[in-house]
Amino acid sequence: MRDYVLIYINGVRHQIRGQQARLSLSNFIRRELGQIGTKIVCSEGDCGACSVLVGRACEDGIRYQAIDSCIAFLFQLDSTHIVTVEGISKAGQTNGVQQALIDCHGSQCGFCTPGFAMAMTAMQENGCGKVVDELRAGLTGNLCRCTGYVSILEAGLTTEIAEGERMDSMYPPDTMLQDFATHADDNMALVEDNEESASRTYCPATLRSALEVLQDWPQAMIVAGATDIGVRVNKGQTLPETILDLNRVKELEQAELVAGKLVMGARVSWTSVESLSRASIPEFYRVLKVFGAPQIRNMGTVGGNVINASPIADSLPFYFVMDAELELQSSSGSRKVSINDFYQGYKKFDLRQGELLTRVTVPLPKERELLRLFKVSRRLDLDISSFTAAIRMRLDGDTITEAALAFGAVGPTVLRARNTEAYLVGRELTEATMLAAGELAVAEVTPISDVRGSEDYRLQLTRNVFVKFYLEHQPDAVLV
Amino acid sequence: MTSVGKPLPHDSARGHVTGSALFIDDMPAQVGELHVGFVGSPVACGEIMRIDVEAALKTPGVVACYTAEDVAGHNVFGLIVADDPFLAQEEVMYVGQPVVVVAAENPKALELGRRAVVIECREQTPVLTIEQAIQANRYLGPVRKIARGRVDENLASAPHRIAGTFKSGGQEQFYLESQAALAYPGEQGQIVVHSSTQNTTEIQAVVAEVLGLGQHEVICICKRMGGAFGGKETQAAIPAIMAALVASKTGRAARVIYNKDDDMCVTGKRHEYFTRWDCGFDNAGHLLALRCEYFSNGGATTDLSPSVMERTLLHGDNAYFLPHVEFTGKVCFTNLPPNTAFRGFGGPQGMLVIENVLETIAEKLGLDALQVRRANVYGVGTRNVTPYGQVVDKNHLPEIFETLAADSDYERRREEIAQFNAKSRLQVRGLALTGMKFGISFTTKFLNQGNALVNVYTDGTIQVSTGATEMGQGVNVKIRQLVADEFAIDPRRVLMMATSTEKNNNTSPTAASAGTDLNGAAAVVACQEIKTRLRSFAAEHLADSESGLVASPEHICFAEGTVHDDRRPQVRIPFEQLCEDARRDRVDLGSRGFFATPGIDFNRETGRGTPFFYFTQGAAVAEVVIDRFTGEMRVLRVDLLIDIGKSINPGVDRGQIIGGFVQGMGWVTNECLTYNDKGELLSHSPTTYKIPAVTDIPPEFNVRMFPNHDNTQNIGSSKAVGEPPLMLALSVWAAARNAISYVKPGAEIDLKSPATGEEILRVITALQQDTEPTQLPGIVIPGR
Ligand SMILES: Cc1cc2nc3c(=O)[nH]c(=O)nc-3n(C[C@H](O)[C@H](O)[C@H](O)COP(=O)(O)OP(=O)(O)OC[C@H]3O[C@@H](n4cnc5c(N)ncnc54)[C@H](O)[C@@H]3O)c2cc1C
Ligand code: FES
Ligand code: FES
Repeated sequence: MRDYVLIYINGVRHQIRGQQARLSLSNFIRRELGQIGTKIVCSEGDCGACSVLVGRACEDGIRYQAIDSCIAFLFQLDSTHIVTVEGISKAGQTNGVQQALIDCHGSQCGFCTPGFAMAMTAMQENGCGKVVDELRAGLTGNLCRCTGYVSILEAGLTTEIAEGERMDSMYPPDTMLQDFATHADDNMALVEDNEESASRTYCPATLRSALEVLQDWPQAMIVAGATDIGVRVNKGQTLPETILDLNRVKELEQAELVAGKLVMGARVSWTSVESLSRASIPEFYRVLKVFGAPQIRNMGTVGGNVINASPIADSLPFYFVMDAELELQSSSGSRKVSINDFYQGYKKFDLRQGELLTRVTVPLPKERELLRLFKVSRRLDLDISSFTAAIRMRLDGDTITEAALAFGAVGPTVLRARNTEAYLVGRELTEATMLAAGELAVAEVTPISDVRGSEDYRLQLTRNVFVKFYLEHQPDAVLV
Repeated sequence: MTSVGKPLPHDSARGHVTGSALFIDDMPAQVGELHVGFVGSPVACGEIMRIDVEAALKTPGVVACYTAEDVAGHNVFGLIVADDPFLAQEEVMYVGQPVVVVAAENPKALELGRRAVVIECREQTPVLTIEQAIQANRYLGPVRKIARGRVDENLASAPHRIAGTFKSGGQEQFYLESQAALAYPGEQGQIVVHSSTQNTTEIQAVVAEVLGLGQHEVICICKRMGGAFGGKETQAAIPAIMAALVASKTGRAARVIYNKDDDMCVTGKRHEYFTRWDCGFDNAGHLLALRCEYFSNGGATTDLSPSVMERTLLHGDNAYFLPHVEFTGKVCFTNLPPNTAFRGFGGPQGMLVIENVLETIAEKLGLDALQVRRANVYGVGTRNVTPYGQVVDKNHLPEIFETLAADSDYERRREEIAQFNAKSRLQVRGLALTGMKFGISFTTKFLNQGNALVNVYTDGTIQVSTGATEMGQGVNVKIRQLVADEFAIDPRRVLMMATSTEKNNNTSPTAASAGTDLNGAAAVVACQEIKTRLRSFAAEHLADSESGLVASPEHICFAEGTVHDDRRPQVRIPFEQLCEDARRDRVDLGSRGFFATPGIDFNRETGRGTPFFYFTQGAAVAEVVIDRFTGEMRVLRVDLLIDIGKSINPGVDRGQIIGGFVQGMGWVTNECLTYNDKGELLSHSPTTYKIPAVTDIPPEFNVRMFPNHDNTQNIGSSKAVGEPPLMLALSVWAAARNAISYVKPGAEIDLKSPATGEEILRVITALQQDTEPTQLPGIVIPGR
């Protein structure tokens, strides 16, 4: 049993043990290592000032992605290479991104700038961000209050990264990869038990060991991407004594399209699902593109979104109308539950002690099926939904033969509007039908007013999505 | 080899991109340094019944807890009215108002200590909204008024008259670096405070006052801020005092770093406004008379609110001539954190009201709003006197309007939009051109001064220190350029030093867009003094009896890093050699320059005078598209044209223009402060408070500067650029309103600011509700 987390930071090897492994990455690099280039603004993944690169082993070496270091715990990052702003250029120099930011007046106060430099370097590493739309999409996780972004975009478009500035040149991957490989299969437990505190953080390498941990410690907190948990901890929640971390469990990170179904392991990151769905499930892709931001999607997982059980979780309305199936496993076996039966109330759901969510299987729309997903949020990007909906219909000519309607942010859970569905079936898909359906649906939802929108607003959106759906499916619909 | 006019990078750009530029939280910890935080009031309004810090003090690692009783000097301060308590005593006035300061060995102990503090209050009903304050007759400071002509008479006799109310929301500054301060004891009882502040002098003064020290015993230093936007003009004080108090009591270094949530919950913001307006106009849309009664939500203490209101009254006209006008302003007391400065300082609120009035008039008359704006824009030579009597001198507004309308293809796009809107059932588009005229100077006269210390070293390099604080706006690089050009040397030989009360005393806040105007001018004065001395010295040096060249300082020129006599230009002394030689000849190579803006005066009582040194002007055209079913809005295109005179640094200035515009766009679109009925802010972090993100930037964004060098009264013929561009974004709000006007032409539109998706959908829904209900198949809907 290994008792330390292995992390490289800017090429330097670290072994982190016990309680210390529960520090956030940002606190570790700022406070313990004294590398203050990484800035903290919100501690909740919503500004990107704390962005760093995380390099993970992949088929052809180490692949680097940007993440928010404020909501990542060290224990999640075993066998990774973290690069901070101090590490993207040689001492006393600037890399191409940094130089472009200087030349284009990309910084004003400079507090957001290291984060932008990191997000842009990540894009360079992955060969994207060279056209403006891609660049914008890649920077949605970074807020700047000073520049109005234009100069930053200009910098991004003129950036040239020299070969020598690539991570693989700056940090030859071989030694690290070897080191990671020798650490890949062992189970890992970070245990500290002294007078002051007791803490056990288990980071098993296989699903079986994970289930065993859960059997021994049924109260353990399960951590996947920590994009929900990390925020809660930064806002005052204390971590429990026992944690089960899923980040090393390989079995849970496969996602594929098979036989008209999208099959996703629970720990698949949103980034992976995003690229998988881009061509094959454009509606889902549209929602994933505005799910958090790249930094969030690089960490946040499919399973976390389901179990976090928020009525505004963006993936759920889609699952609801497609009747997705959840696979739940414990050391004593596995069972399957329809997503439509899973939630029982606000943050209440059918997950038993000792169980893990292991897989989500979503049947995809078939021919003659219309599918539309709606996410309404105050800001287009990096915003939690004020309202979500999914409408799926099967048509025979103009007649609706099947209808599934799901709404989020209008009740304690994502919900299906069954009466309205029943009303729709057998009717012609006309504007009048949809207008009526909207009125019916309003009676099936129970929104409240909160910081993201009033009850009236949510009711009106519920009403309006029907005709919007209808009009958007007209052949002459003009969309900007 | 001049550098003025060149787009040199920000002077900390390299430090920014490499992360090596230090902010307060980044400075290395001193041995024994304490982490300091506070515990705030649990209620918006009430009496403190009990403060119990016993459990907190027992928490391992907690070193001290302080309350108002531990304050040796005055616990109450304030720039305009001394009514701002450092720590609440007896009564609490807003949720989170600091009551207890906690100091601990480490962040964890601080957190536990904060949680262990008990504050019990007898809760009273708070006043939270402007409406409640009006009803309860609770105001801060006097009513202010600016008026001209016969308003009632002209309202009554005007061919058309419309009256209404208007609301604009507050706005969080959302500087990325939250409030921060680090203090440590110096020698002889001194306290050194590093503060993220726009106003080192103010921090020095209040720290001295609260600790009961002389001002000479407090040093305040600010190297840079991670953004400020007005939010650190007065409100950096409380955290700075906290750190200073702990440092002075414990003898240890003490650092306060607010987290974002606390910062947003307890510090003041842009004032929310409610306005009653009444206007009369003719068939061409000329405003014949306008009355506005402005009410601002001041929060619990005076802070800068009266000055902010004053600027509202001074900008109620915006870019438009008002023959008969009456503006009155009242600051409402509410149980919210004291609202404060924010880029524009009351100007945007006043200007948005009149832009809304002009849109209303256009809709009423069935005219294009641009036509109405053209009818009202300040004239050249005529119709050019503001309501307070200052002439809009060197006015370029009509020209700016026309140039921009042509460049942005306004007329053609208007046509296209009308066609699109007639066809599209899903979306509706809108277009608007709004003007902007912003007065430059502090309206509080004495603040219009600056001083600068220029030290020239014997290797020909220079350090400059001024009262200007660097918050990202690039004041440092601009002053650096001005100084380099004075001596005709490479700007790399000039460095801007941290702002410190030790070097620059009695400084004004870096605010009112006047940072470069005042401090740059002062630096130039200092340079000129040094140059005068160097000229005399060089004249002697270069005099040549053989060729009959008599020493004559007037003939000495500084050029290309050298000095020469223009009668014998072939002999050049390198600047550094001159400096070395001058020192050896006991010439003083340092100087302090002082500048006070000439010619300004404003009488608050009469509401008349010349408050402004000059005006920055501009206009913008925005086009938006709105989803008719969700209210979501996208800004499609923006064209703006702004007269900032002769730019000292076009790269920096362009950044100010775009950044300011986008900030203004946030204010009128998605930035929404939500409080519950207890006065708690619900939108207190970027999760719930949405400033513009990169994808909100219009895909087509044309930014142009109006070529104009006639502003010769200001430094380098430049114009201030900090605040004005923010108000160009009113065009986005006006475009939203314009779009909605297509939903039901001729109907009254009651759109507030910010025009969030929710607000837009509310207005669209209301407009549609009056139309006939459609027959719905197979269902009966009760009550529709
Ligand atoms: C800035 C920001 C933006 C966001 N934007 C969005 C958004 O646009 N849309 C949206 O829907 N969400 C959003 N989120 C929320 C979050 O990113 C998602 O819910 C994400 O999918 C959570 O996954 P995770 O792996 O990070 O979950 P974690 O934080 O690791 O876990 C969340 C919960 O799920 C449990 N859990 C995780 N995996 C399993 C498992 N396999 N079996 C059993 N229990 C498990 C955990 O115990 C925990 O209770 C955002 C979050 C942040 C911080
Ligand atoms: S500090 Fe804002 S995302 Fe990490
Ligand atoms: S430069 Fe100040 S926040 Fe981006």
